[in-house]
Parts: sequence; structure tokens; C-alpha cells
Amino acid sequence: MGNGTPVGNTIRRLRFERGGMTQQALADASGVTRQTVIALEAGRYAPSLELAFRIAHALGARIEDVFQWKGDA
Amino acid sequence: MQPLRVGFAGLVALAALATWLLIAGPARVLGVDAGNAGVVLLMAAGWGSLYAISRMPDDGLGETMSRGEWRAWLGLAFTLVIAAYSIAHAGVFQGPPLPHNPDANRVGRNVVMLLAAWLILAHVLDARGRDRVQRDERDREIEARGAGAARLALVVILVGYALLLSFSPTERLDWAVPPLLGHLLVVALVVSCAFEYLVIGIGYWRDRR
Repeated sequence: MGNGTPVGNTIRRLRFERGGMTQQALADASGVTRQTVIALEAGRYAPSLELAFRIAHALGARIEDVFQWKGDA
Repeated sequence: MQPLRVGFAGLVALAALATWLLIAGPARVLGVDAGNAGVVLLMAAGWGSLYAISRMPDDGLGETMSRGEWRAWLGLAFTLVIAAYSIAHAGVFQGPPLPHNPDANRVGRNVVMLLAAWLILAHVLDARGRDRVQRDERDREIEARGAGAARLALVVILVGYALLLSFSPTERLDWAVPPLLGHLLVVALVVSCAFEYLVIGIGYWRDRR
């Protein structure tokens, strides 16, 4: 149901490494709402493959640097 | 933040007064039909909520709660009031057919007005802030879960009706006149919508808690 997904991510760290990119800026660049970025950073939502690629592209990183498989949550 | 809280308290009081007028209030207030007054007050509360959402500071709930979640909770409130009003006044549909039953016409008109008010409010809510992304794949997943839950609720209610009508002795079905059965089918639709909004609201809430 969205809570505790097996997909971890480093979105928050990468945002700050990219000069403090805001959640809204990342949301706009990825074509999602800011609330979805919040849910992703909190690990409560696992994105589709397409969205994962779009976020990685917006952050200028490879998808495996942004998302990691944590195993069964 | 204080004026905002006072504003919300005022909106809740207005919505509560409207609900009381619709469901349990006197037939007439100051010479006006209480149901019509309730509809107007509830519409005012709905529009006030919309205004409050638009004025909410960026670091407040306005940013944490998505448009879809606001829509779900407002929709739940509206549909619950419509369902409660419809059930509270279901008795008037046991009278003669609708063309000869002014009480049933009045109740039906108020239900339609409430539904129309909610549809307009939901449309305005959806139309605001079109410059930014308002819905994405997460919203669609949550909405799909809500739609599935609503379909299940509707099936359960309709099967319940079918069993009730099929297995009850004829002499105990005097109440089941066609206008009332039609009204109860509308109530079933409204309840299934309320269930959909509830599941959607909980879905959003779980994602951000």
C-alpha cells in the first residue's frame, strides 16, 4: 500500500549535492507533484521504471545511483 | 496561523449547521425551506474551504497535502452529508409516485443540488493551479484503489438489496414501493462514492504520515 517499499533511494542527498535543488524543482523537472517527491524520499512510494529514469535524468545521475534494491521490506 | 484556525473553525461550524438543517432541523426556518437553506450553507462552506486551501501558507498543510487528498476529504464530507440526508428523508418516497409527491420532489431536488454543488466544487478544485503537475502516477494508483473499493462496496450493497427483496416474505415488503427502491439505488451509488473517497483519502494519508 505504499508504506515501506523495498526500493531505497538517495534522492534527498543528490538534491543537496546538486546545489540544494528544491523538491518542487525536482517535481517539475520529473513531471510529478511535490507530494510524490516527498513520498519517494520518505521511502513510502516505489516509482515506475519510467518515473525512476525521469528522476535520475533530472538529477543528472544514473538510475542505479538514485535507486537501490533493499530486498523485501 | 490564528486567523486560519478561526476560519477553519467557522467553516466547520457552518458545515455542521448546514448538516443539521438538512438532516435533523425543522421543516422551515424563517419562512424558508430548511433543506434549501442547508444546501446553500453547505455550498458556502465548500466554497469557503476552497478559498482557505488557496490561502494556505506554503509550509503548511497546503504543501503537504496534495490536490487529490483535498478532493478526497471534501468529497467524502459531501457524499456523507448527501447519503445521510437521503437516508433521513427516505420515508417521503413511500408516498405516491414522484409527479404527485411534492415532499419527495423537494428531497430529490436538494439531493441533485448537493451533487451539482459538489461536481462544480470538484471541477474548480481540479482547474486551479494548472501551471503545475496536479496528478501523476501515484495519484492514479491511489485513485484506482479507490475505484476498486467503490465497485466492491456497490456490489455488496446491491447483492444485499437483491437478497433482501428475494428472501423477504411479501407481506413484509410493503415498504418497498418503486419510488423508494429507486431512491435506495441512488443512495447505494452515493455510499459507494463515499467509500471511494474514504479509500483515496486514507491512501494519501498513509503515504505522508
